[in-house]
Amino acid sequence: MTELLQVPLILRGQVIEDYALEFGGRHGGVRFRTADVSAYTGQLTLDAPSQLADLYALSFADIVDYLESLGKRLVLDDNPHLQAAFTLACATSGLSESILRDRYQLLPNMFARQEIIDSAQIGCGIDFLEGWVEQTAHNRPGLVARVRAFGARAVHVVAGNLPDVSALTVLRNAITRSDCLIKTPSNDPLTAVALARTMIDMAPDHPLTRHVSVAYWKGGDAQVEDAIYDPRGVEKIVAWGGFNSIRHITKYLQPGIDLITLDPKLSGTIIGREAFDSDETLRHVARRLALDIGGWNQEGCVNARVIHVQSGTDAEGIACCERLARLTFEAMQQLPEHLSTPHKDFDPALRDELDTLRMIDEGYTLVGGEADEGAMIVSHDGLPVDFSRILACRVGNLVPIDDIDTAVMSVNAYTQTIGIYPDSLKEAIRDRLAFQGAQRLVSLGGAITLNGGTQRQDGIEPLRRMCKWITDESGDGHQIEQLALRE
Amino acid sequence: MSHFFEQLMDNPLAVRDNTYDQGYQLAAEQLQRFHLHWAGKRFAELRPRISVLDKLAREQGIDAITDIEQVGHLLFAHSVYKSYPMSYLERNRFDMLTKWLAKLTSTDLSHIDANGIETIDDWLDLLDAQTPLMVLHTSGTTGKLSFLPRTKAQSRDMGIIAANILRDWNGPFSRPDMLSHHRPLINPGYRYGAGTAQRMAGVQVELYAGGDDNALFLYPNQRLSADLISLAGRLRTAEARGEQGRLEISPGLLRRRDELIEMEKQRPQAIANFLETARTRFAGQDVYIGTLYGMVYDWAVEGLAKGHSNIFGPDSFLSCGGGTKGRVFPDDWRETIQTFLGFSTFSETYAMTESMGMATLCEQGHYHLAPFTVPFLLDPRSGAQLPRVDGTSGRFAFLDLLPDNYWAGMVTGDAVTMGGFQQPCGCGRQGYYVHKDVRRYSDMEGGDDKVLCSGAPEAHDKALAFLTETLTR
Repeated sequence: MTELLQVPLILRGQVIEDYALEFGGRHGGVRFRTADVSAYTGQLTLDAPSQLADLYALSFADIVDYLESLGKRLVLDDNPHLQAAFTLACATSGLSESILRDRYQLLPNMFARQEIIDSAQIGCGIDFLEGWVEQTAHNRPGLVARVRAFGARAVHVVAGNLPDVSALTVLRNAITRSDCLIKTPSNDPLTAVALARTMIDMAPDHPLTRHVSVAYWKGGDAQVEDAIYDPRGVEKIVAWGGFNSIRHITKYLQPGIDLITLDPKLSGTIIGREAFDSDETLRHVARRLALDIGGWNQEGCVNARVIHVQSGTDAEGIACCERLARLTFEAMQQLPEHLSTPHKDFDPALRDELDTLRMIDEGYTLVGGEADEGAMIVSHDGLPVDFSRILACRVGNLVPIDDIDTAVMSVNAYTQTIGIYPDSLKEAIRDRLAFQGAQRLVSLGGAITLNGGTQRQDGIEPLRRMCKWITDESGDGHQIEQLALRE
Repeated sequence: MSHFFEQLMDNPLAVRDNTYDQGYQLAAEQLQRFHLHWAGKRFAELRPRISVLDKLAREQGIDAITDIEQVGHLLFAHSVYKSYPMSYLERNRFDMLTKWLAKLTSTDLSHIDANGIETIDDWLDLLDAQTPLMVLHTSGTTGKLSFLPRTKAQSRDMGIIAANILRDWNGPFSRPDMLSHHRPLINPGYRYGAGTAQRMAGVQVELYAGGDDNALFLYPNQRLSADLISLAGRLRTAEARGEQGRLEISPGLLRRRDELIEMEKQRPQAIANFLETARTRFAGQDVYIGTLYGMVYDWAVEGLAKGHSNIFGPDSFLSCGGGTKGRVFPDDWRETIQTFLGFSTFSETYAMTESMGMATLCEQGHYHLAPFTVPFLLDPRSGAQLPRVDGTSGRFAFLDLLPDNYWAGMVTGDAVTMGGFQQPCGCGRQGYYVHKDVRRYSDMEGGDDKVLCSGAPEAHDKALAFLTETLTR
């Protein structure tokens, strides 16, 4: 794709067709023109917090109705805005068309009535969103405390590897009655725009439409960010992934701005010795492991990369791992197309590493990795490969271990999801994994397939954290007065 | 001229034994014949003796070189020379490391007994003592050292060729011959060690200075330890493995870290003393200074402020690799250095550890490849060969025809634009060249504002990052 796209700026219910600046994504040759955001900074954030009031004229039921109607319009086949975003994503994303199509086609599900209600209830508590919830303090007679979750003015720096991220942002902004500016990434400048334009087509003057803005500027552009990240207009910054994007933002942190990071993470797998009970079990385990590694083409933070396997580290153990590697590689080739395909843009640096492993034939067993089909690497020395940080494009590294403790202790603060087999092992080690830094534990094969929809995100409570929690304490006036008097 | 070409066809080392300017007078057709002939010969000689090359050739279905494009399919990824498992170092498996290196060279290592070796430095010394090799290691900015099986003879040849390049740059013997007329050597680094710079420094002391009495080093008696250089990477690897990794870090490694930090505290004073000694001891003489522009520029600014200028003789040489290393100098930086040092012959080179060839910058801003360097341009993503057309940009790859004991066909991580395929450079030199603006693909990746949710930021050991940077510059 070499045509020059136009990406409008969405400013509080208005589509601003100003294409003053050009930006170029190297990937797929995608270039686009969009507004010079520095000319609009005063309007992008909400300097007057009183303007949040219109959201409070809405009931939760109104919000659900709005989102449900929006969901019905997010049908890929009928929505030209989404179609444009989908077409662009096909060029910029590491995901193949078949996977992207599935993700875009599933967007309406995120806006289903029950999904929204569950998301609000589990993720925050509808009563807290709707009103003041009484919390009695037993040791302070006469005190009546109430708490309510209010929306906030937020900038969302979204990741571009899945359209779900933009959809979640719009949903959460509405549920929490917040005001949002979505800063799009260069690898997906259109999905958030498509959602906002659909909202404008549906209800241009609705408060939920008018509290969403979408803009692209180059992350780190001081001219824009100095103006935007100001506590007078922004109370929360929600930053997805991207080490650099979060690093840029940290310099704007100051009292009055709350940073919610959805840190860049890596995920892994722990497989207990039970996997080797029988050949049938091993095939079963391999198919589930293939899902965790290969699902969504390993483009997500949830995907498994390093897999600790309690096979034993002796020659026999390594041979067991090699068998698992072959079965997993085969299973990966059989994954349904809407979940996984050979990677269309294999990382050249990773290819160098795989070519080298194959040529040198020392210390590792390589299965596959000849073209773009993915690969499994078995470490003979019981340690992950040196390049474990760049494992992607459906390449997994099996690391044989003797003792599950080695796997547990290898988890660190940058670990997100861990797929575990069998479930009894998960229960046995889950508390210890939590100490080490793991965020989300799943049955093997569940990394993408059990994804908790809009309700849980790795347990980091994004909905609750997006809110401002306000307390209201009442006491008996006479009792309070007594406290002002000497005995 | 044709005599030189015949000598080259007989042996590429003819470059060493003739004036270097002749290498830039070869007709395009001669250069191509020379490249094809020797690429084929090296491949035929080395394939049966280097298992990795044999494997690559089998995979590519290539049995003989009849077209230079075939060589483009036989290039090693730059990760090959660091493809050993890191655990070999962590667990003192230097026997395994020797076996690994043996796969990459035709030099016989079968008699080497590395059992009981506990440090990289000792392993390198063992190979120095018992083989024709003087293995080089890279600076390892990523933390993992590459080991290159270069011979002692090759390093010496490189020293001679580098002197000839300087001497014959503007015509045969247009500048002094350091090999026959020794001169003081000034080097703001370590005298000893197996890093690329230290190995060359050793050769230069002998060939250019005529011995240590005529050489000044920042650290004249110290060795740049490969174990220290690899510290940051080893700690980082351990760190990535959580608490388990930290448990396995050897206390010895951590002690060396502290030792290194202590030494680094002394560094500013050591540099000040070194520069003052260089100025006073060698004033008025023609010298050879090998360093980076950054240090020389700082030295010049400080020196000029103190009223010093025209320190050295007019026929001195300043040799700087890697240009300005991304540092932005004022427009008059070159004049500033020149006024202070008192001479204007600055030689800038573009070189890779794996190659014996040094590409030298001409006044047109082009690095002229050595005649024995066969260049390739590859598509950065697909790896496909790009047409040999002037002005084409791509990933630089090369086969160096001089090394006779390892396959010097490599793909670099550098983004370059090339010329000299159809039209020679305006400076009059024939042959292939690389435009001055060389960038690393790894540096270019970060700037495109793509945001993904996967990744793992490192908890940087700031002290170590600083030290590694300092040690390797």
